[in-house]
Amino acid sequence: MTKSKSLPSLIAVIDIGTHKTVGLVGQVIDGKARMLSFSERRTEGVVKGTVVDLEKLHNCVHEAVNDLERVAQRGIEEVYLTIAGPSVTGERVKGFVAVPAHDGKVTIKDFKEAMQSAKRLEPPEGRATILYMRQPTMLDGKGVENPVGLQGKRLEVNFWRVTMEEGNVRFRVKMINAMSIHVRDFILASHAAACALISEAEKLGGVLVIDFGAGTTDWILYFKGHILCAGSIPVGGEHLTNDLSVALRISRDTAEDLKVRFASAVHRENDANQTIWKDGDKGVGDQQFNRGTITQVTALRFQETLEFVRKDVLHQLEQIFPGHVMKLDQNFLPSGAILTGGTANLADAAEAGTTILGLPTRVGIPQFEKEAYRKPEYAGVIGMMKAAIEDAPPPVRRPQGVLAWLKDMFRF
Amino acid sequence: MEPNRAILLVGLGGAGCSIVARLAPSLPAEVKVALIDTDAAALVQANGRETIQLGRAQTRGMGTGGEVSVGTASAESEEPQLRRLFTGYALVVLVTGLGGGTGSGAAAFLATVATDAGATVLAYATIPFSHEGERRKRQASEALDKLGAKAHGLVTVQNDLLLLQVSKEAPLSESFAAADEWVGGALRALAGTFVPGALVPADPAAVRSILSTPGSPTLFTYGRGEGPGAALAAARAANECPLAHAPGATTKAASLFVAVTGGPTLSATEAFEAVAAVRMRFGGETTTLLCARVVADFGDRVEVAVLGASTPALKSLKKGKGTKPGEENQQIFGFATEDSIRRGLFGGTPLTFIDGQDVDVPTYIRRAVRLPVGP
Repeated sequence: MTKSKSLPSLIAVIDIGTHKTVGLVGQVIDGKARMLSFSERRTEGVVKGTVVDLEKLHNCVHEAVNDLERVAQRGIEEVYLTIAGPSVTGERVKGFVAVPAHDGKVTIKDFKEAMQSAKRLEPPEGRATILYMRQPTMLDGKGVENPVGLQGKRLEVNFWRVTMEEGNVRFRVKMINAMSIHVRDFILASHAAACALISEAEKLGGVLVIDFGAGTTDWILYFKGHILCAGSIPVGGEHLTNDLSVALRISRDTAEDLKVRFASAVHRENDANQTIWKDGDKGVGDQQFNRGTITQVTALRFQETLEFVRKDVLHQLEQIFPGHVMKLDQNFLPSGAILTGGTANLADAAEAGTTILGLPTRVGIPQFEKEAYRKPEYAGVIGMMKAAIEDAPPPVRRPQGVLAWLKDMFRF
Repeated sequence: MEPNRAILLVGLGGAGCSIVARLAPSLPAEVKVALIDTDAAALVQANGRETIQLGRAQTRGMGTGGEVSVGTASAESEEPQLRRLFTGYALVVLVTGLGGGTGSGAAAFLATVATDAGATVLAYATIPFSHEGERRKRQASEALDKLGAKAHGLVTVQNDLLLLQVSKEAPLSESFAAADEWVGGALRALAGTFVPGALVPADPAAVRSILSTPGSPTLFTYGRGEGPGAALAAARAANECPLAHAPGATTKAASLFVAVTGGPTLSATEAFEAVAAVRMRFGGETTTLLCARVVADFGDRVEVAVLGASTPALKSLKKGKGTKPGEENQQIFGFATEDSIRRGLFGGTPLTFIDGQDVDVPTYIRRAVRLPVGP
């Protein structure tokens, strides 16, 4: 392990969600990550994953940065940001190269050329490329890990390209730059969460990670160690709250409270026999509700959202493997599905996931030194920190590896 | 008696006649066309369609020379003939260019005669280019006031607007072609809804009820889309149609009539999405009438035409409060309920559709699931 003589640089990550903005500052000392400060604030100005009030969001992020700097007692110079939500889309881009025939072996030059030809494709008008993620490389139609030195005729390089509305990207960068902080990189939120939750072995086998946040539900699918595809459904935990507030004619805050205390991802017959109290003191203004109403409303919404995810996954798979009938099952994804994000806290979430997705589902809880942060809602920020540590110099960046794609990111 | 579903498209004056003559070949056969002018030469374009020459006595077939009073007198002298023409139509669409003599002078009178004959009158008037001078402008605005008071619906288009829509080098014909496309497309879509065989047919009376009160500002827009997501694309195009963005144009209407025309692949959910997108932009809180029609040769093309008025027209149709989920009146297509009732905290935010459903509406409402009642 390289020991750095100067003060190790700070690594700061900020995850701006619909419900809350979570920031984390860490430091790598002697190859071991230390957490220096943590900040969590209610996000304002974001609805359904879309920024609706720039000023409010700006203030909110500014305060989060102030929190982080105050506790860490050092200024932050650069941050990693997550991106998620409806303005982020991904698509597969391909690059080809015909391997020169003199010896028929793929050289590094051929490989690079193929990669460049994939990246040469312009993103659609008004969208900026955020990052490229490596997908399986094909040599004469067969998937290979590293084609260099192999015999073949036609080399095909695939990337999952993530693009975002240009204005949205610019706004984020400006917002951070306004605090004299540099945006080091963007990380796809669902990928960040996955980094905290799954092992390399699980990625190799195939796994679906669903980040059920407050405003959006983002999913990402790993297959044979690569990101195969990712997507976002503009429905999240806020919708559960909203449905409860509509059904029970109660305020948003009351609905949120009841959701946390009584909601479930599965509706059971005997829920209807339970009566619950809003405040619990049975005093003036306290109301009683049928628990069955609450579980019915939330279960329907939760299951429907997973159903949307399932359809979206299948839809994208059909585009990647045209002509194949795709099925989500354990043969395809041996490691099943992992639910994370704030809404994964819902009771029986894993059970509902298993039923709807047809995959063994578990709730993903990030492994973290402090127990208070071992919650699904922190998977994003913790995973991002993990990814950032692997990316950040020093120590010297690894030239190849899972996070090699980080190198290819769009720089500002 | 068979309900009266006929539509008459009338071009009045030089500009009106030329617009209508250009449009006529592309209209469905059910739309009858008539040209009315003082200038005998203009009526030659009629190509065998019905024509009425106004003011033979006053102008001897030479046009009005831009005199409004001559135009009015010419029209009044032909009243019996006009009355005969308008009788028997449910909807009369009166297209005219204001500013000259015939259009400015006769439009209001024609609207009166048609209304008396029992037709709903939708007037479409163009306002002269600003470089055509003060006199034409004044005549146009006076005529507009009169026409607005007589016609059930009045759509105005600034000719200046046409200049903004096309590139500087574009030939003159191109800028007119753009305007024809909006008007013609909207008329085609409107006309189609009266034709028997529509998927969700419109009642002429319903259209009439939307435009019931003369003098109310009228919203009129049109858009088309092709390929996947054509319906939504068409709705977006309609939302952005310059007709709805002209200075002084109505941008919100309490009652909307949305005509969706598509090929055989048009699905109900697509039609839904289009209607909802249009409603997001224009309102339609009181009533939204949908008419969907499938035309075999449309392929994957979808056209959306919107007609709207702000005067409360129909009696407030069933609102969400009184209806049980899932029992909304079919014709109103479930969107007549207030945003805030169904979408709760998301009321007023942009709609998000998945599989043709507005996902901000609680799942239990969309699936009409009965919730366990009482504590």
